[in-house]
Amino acid sequence: MAQLGTQIESVAGARRIEATQPRLSRWRALEESRLFPAVLVLPILIFFLVWNIIPLLWLLGVSFYRFKLTSAQPEQYIGFENFRRLWESSVYWGTLGRTLTFMVCSVGLATVLGILLGLLFWGSARMPGRRLALTLLFTPMILPPVAVGTFYRLIYDPTFGVLNYYANRITGKTYDFLGDKELAFWALVAVDVWMWTPFMTLMTLAALGSVPKAELEAAEIDRLPWLKRLWYVVLPHGKFILMLGILLRTIDAFKTTDLVYLMTRGGPGNRTELVGVTLYRQGFEAFQMGNASAMAVIALLIAIAFTSIYLYVLNYRETRAALR
Amino acid sequence: MTQQRGSERQLGQIIYYIILWLVAIAFFLPVLWIFLAAFKSGGELVRWPPKWIFSPTLDNIRDAINRPNFWEYFRMSFVFSIGAVAIAIVVAFLAAYSFSRFKPRGTNFMMFLLLSVRMVPAAAVVVPVFMMYNAFGWNKTFHGMLLFYAMFCIPFSLWILKGFLDGVSVRFDETALVNGGSRLHVIFRVVLPQVKPGLVAAAIFNLIFVWNEFLFNYLLGGKGTTMIPVLLATGVNQGGSVDWSFIASLSLIYMLPPIVAIFLFQKYLLVGMTFGTVRGEV
Repeated sequence: MAQLGTQIESVAGARRIEATQPRLSRWRALEESRLFPAVLVLPILIFFLVWNIIPLLWLLGVSFYRFKLTSAQPEQYIGFENFRRLWESSVYWGTLGRTLTFMVCSVGLATVLGILLGLLFWGSARMPGRRLALTLLFTPMILPPVAVGTFYRLIYDPTFGVLNYYANRITGKTYDFLGDKELAFWALVAVDVWMWTPFMTLMTLAALGSVPKAELEAAEIDRLPWLKRLWYVVLPHGKFILMLGILLRTIDAFKTTDLVYLMTRGGPGNRTELVGVTLYRQGFEAFQMGNASAMAVIALLIAIAFTSIYLYVLNYRETRAALR
Repeated sequence: MTQQRGSERQLGQIIYYIILWLVAIAFFLPVLWIFLAAFKSGGELVRWPPKWIFSPTLDNIRDAINRPNFWEYFRMSFVFSIGAVAIAIVVAFLAAYSFSRFKPRGTNFMMFLLLSVRMVPAAAVVVPVFMMYNAFGWNKTFHGMLLFYAMFCIPFSLWILKGFLDGVSVRFDETALVNGGSRLHVIFRVVLPQVKPGLVAAAIFNLIFVWNEFLFNYLLGGKGTTMIPVLLATGVNQGGSVDWSFIASLSLIYMLPPIVAIFLFQKYLLVGMTFGTVRGEV
């Protein structure tokens, strides 16, 4: 009996193998068919459709409506009214201008400081504890912006903030860094510079690392002066990576939202309202979704422009490298 | 004479290293201040003049851990970071392989669009997604949040993995195929092991990005899908006064993992912070 049982089992097993055979070959056929590349891309296309294309169409649609989330009134088609109003709004132009100032100041300062620090750290290859030192240096850029925004409020605090203590020791005055109309903006720029100088240092180190050793040695043998060495030897090789770093920083500075929102909520008045903050407040404090959508469309266009420039530089670098 | 010059040079080297260390510590100082604040008693924290040396207490951290929502939010931080990154890497790896090897029409355009999405201010992204989620009833749901974060991680993973895959010669694929390997064998057994650094870099940095994310979670999440950053942000703004001891100890707990991560994975930092567009080590 038992023997028969195993026999049946083995027959069944053989059947099972036979049954799976065509499925396997069908899979092989799929692999070799022209559709295979598309099958691999399918998951990402689904994600792209659901989380990018549909929201994008939604955004474009809503930007033509007057649509307040909290009001019972049905949304009303108003054509380009939202955009026209933004175009004519001096407040929004002010926000764009302020964002531009923020980007130029914070990226400019971070770049200059970052390059200087990068040059300073150039010769640190054999420093004891280099890894720990670099971790401390690079920490600001990987911290949650929420935490940074929050704890800088503690540091900037007018009554017990540590920064005010030292400011008071030096100038004899106390400052309300985040509440003062003149200071608030610069206090934000300072935090942003603190956060992102390490990034530019990182990019500078990468740029310096991309310079061929032989050329540096040649410059050493020729006793080229320090500045000339930077200008004629380092810069031609390092400028692309540096350029990419500056562009990435610029894009990131344009995106700044939660840091500012946590520190000042755009205040005092609207002295620290950047594009992202205004957008957030329109959408989720005033619930003016139509207006916020129009702003988002503008932000999207600016972002696409930035990305195009970034990729242009990247491709330019790669074609140059390929030609060489 | 030469010996003297040698020791002089050594001294210069030591001074140089000390300067570098001081610069690094200077950048870390604000973070250190918060870490210290986490160990100060309430009165000590708001004392004027501020103190660098004090008798430390663990009460704040114990208190933060025992807050009602702490563990739940902390768990969600882990679940979303790891879950979203896992999904994103699988999806992005398959697509990157296809883009890199078959170069279907529209590859460059797709890469460009996906990168653009990550370059838009978060507030602009969240407006349409918020409206869409409202309409679909996905607001405050687990899968809504998880899949959104997966999408959040995909562009970066795709860019980084495509960069690495382009660096693996097609000869490997061809050899394996000629020897009778299936495509799946080629993808997972031949090519995958060679792009491990890319996978690690994409995973680590996407983990950090999701871990740090606030705005999307705040607006799209709700009960059961909230992470720690929301607790940090709302802890400040609720009511008039701010519980600084709580904020400081929460920041300490939450900021340590990313810091440890960049210590352990420092060689991926450059790739990670540039969307995989710049390669190399620092």
